Amino acid sequence: MDADSDVALDILITNVVCVFRTRCHLNLRKIALEGANVIYKRDVGKVLMKLRKPRITATIWSSGKIICTGATSEEEAKFGARRLARSLQKLGFQVIFTDFKVVNVLAVCNMPFEIRLPEFTKNNRPHASYEPELHPAVCYRIKSLRATLQIFSTGSITVTGILF
Amino acid sequence: MDCVNWVAKLYRSVIEDVIEGVRDLFAEEGVEEQVLKDLKQLWETKVLQSKATEDFFRNSVHSPLFTLQLPHSLHQTLQSSAASFVIPAGRTRPSFTAAELGTSNSSASFTFPGYPIHVPVGVTQQTASAHLYKVSVPFMVTQTSERASILQHPVQQVFQLLGQPSIIQTSIPQLNPCFLQATTEKSLRMETVLQQPIVLPSETVDRKHLENTTSDILVPPGNEHKTISEALLNQLVSSQYISFPGGVFTPQVSQTDSIVEPVLWVSARMTQNLHGPLSTSPQGAQHQHVLEAQPSVLKNRLCGCDSVKQPRNTEEPSSLPVSEKDSSSEMDLSIRVTDGDVNEIIQIGGTGETSSNDEIGNTRDVDENGLLGIIDAGDLKVTEEETGSVSNEDSSVNSSDNEDPEIDLLEEDPLNSGDDVSEQDVPDLFDMDNVIVCQYDKIHRSKDKWKFYLKDGVMCFGGRDYVFAKAIGDAEW
Repeated sequence: MDADSDVALDILITNVVCVFRTRCHLNLRKIALEGANVIYKRDVGKVLMKLRKPRITATIWSSGKIICTGATSEEEAKFGARRLARSLQKLGFQVIFTDFKVVNVLAVCNMPFEIRLPEFTKNNRPHASYEPELHPAVCYRIKSLRATLQIFSTGSITVTGILF
Repeated sequence: MDCVNWVAKLYRSVIEDVIEGVRDLFAEEGVEEQVLKDLKQLWETKVLQSKATEDFFRNSVHSPLFTLQLPHSLHQTLQSSAASFVIPAGRTRPSFTAAELGTSNSSASFTFPGYPIHVPVGVTQQTASAHLYKVSVPFMVTQTSERASILQHPVQQVFQLLGQPSIIQTSIPQLNPCFLQATTEKSLRMETVLQQPIVLPSETVDRKHLENTTSDILVPPGNEHKTISEALLNQLVSSQYISFPGGVFTPQVSQTDSIVEPVLWVSARMTQNLHGPLSTSPQGAQHQHVLEAQPSVLKNRLCGCDSVKQPRNTEEPSSLPVSEKDSSSEMDLSIRVTDGDVNEIIQIGGTGETSSNDEIGNTRDVDENGLLGIIDAGDLKVTEEETGSVSNEDSSVNSSDNEDPEIDLLEEDPLNSGDDVSEQDVPDLFDMDNVIVCQYDKIHRSKDKWKFYLKDGVMCFGGRDYVFAKAIGDAEW
């Protein structure tokens, strides 16, 4: 099939995952008690803090590592992470915003046509792997881009990328 | 209004239990019983003042003597030491006699054995029965006994229909200008129900025995009753007394205390009706007395009734919505004119109440979207923030981020807390807002949808308290 570049494919970034470090130990209990919009998962030892404006959810560990998910763009992820760090700072922790890294970006797009997965897999042997019993989508990896695409028979494609 | 009253009952029982529980402890510690009583009073007063529950005292009377002060607003009635008062009329034979009436000079205080009721001026009372009677009662009933009585059937028995004159006696003072006005305004045709002996000031002793006569009503002699009443009304009006069917009147408390007995007025109609039973005493001679004395009497009575309340005479006339608030619905006594003049039915409290709506108003204006507010429950700290923290973040987002992305990756990046601080709203835990204190069965969240399964809690919503054994809520974050 031609990749018709003239057709505007609506590809939307739906999720940006990033991490950063605060370089200081965080007292999860204190965050849970005093922070706003927090969920304390004591069993696993982390605190979820949700922000509204860049709608993000941050997972905070006591070691100071924070994973920030839910942003719709890298910029936004940065903003959200910084805002989060500021709020932690306000709570009294000596937070230093370091090691910010975008870890994953997830996008979806829709093909206006359906895809025959078994045939597709056969044609794209090395890259595509298809286990219908495990997952209804073809997993297509692009090594050069470090991207993983999940191709569904309906034509919707999920693109994720793990950057290291 | 029972649906809300059980909260009050619960609170009351809690108070009782606690007080009883600590009574021994207090005794052991050597603290006086009075302190305990004070504590209890204070507690109850605070509960009242918070208006967390309606009608806290509606059904109970704890203090042997309690007075209703003329409230400037309805709230004040609640704040009085006795939130409600009941005239359990009829229960005990009002033993006051002319002598008693005559004794109190400045205030027409009728001692109802067993009635610890001070009905302040301007109180319109509603009987539990179907008889409504507009009463502005500038008199104080002082209880002689310790018994706390509950206003259950206040005027019902007091303002008995014909046939229970003795009780009516107590109501005598209550009939007053308000009544007059009603008559004039509507040409009320008050039945003889309102047999209220008019005690002429001049006729101290004699008139006082009117009580003995059932249908003993002194009416401003006959024909000119209407004019008389009108005249009196005018006087009354001029003496700053206003009452209208709505039941709102501004009793003026003037200081003239010359008159002793309250003067009761009977409506024109009544006069007609009562013509028969008019006492035989020299009516004619009374005319002038009546005419003259009444305005002043009324004035005095209005103001002075309450000897205890003398100092209160300086209160400015307070417009007292007839209904002394919903909470005092039972306190209100009124007798409906059985004559069928529906307009005359002044209902205080209850469903028909209208006048106090504007006063009471505001508790229901908050629309509830699931459970809003802050739930404190053990380990689980879930704060529902509906505030506009977003707005602050908006501005900061636009303004901030002047950094180079690559710097962050390698170097420590000062957060520029001084510059770019996004003023995320400090979540204010409002005390005044709606709060729920409870235990939780389950709190569930899916994305930003929350579900709450709560139990055994108290909710303060719109200033009022609601107690629940189980509560389920939905919210969106």
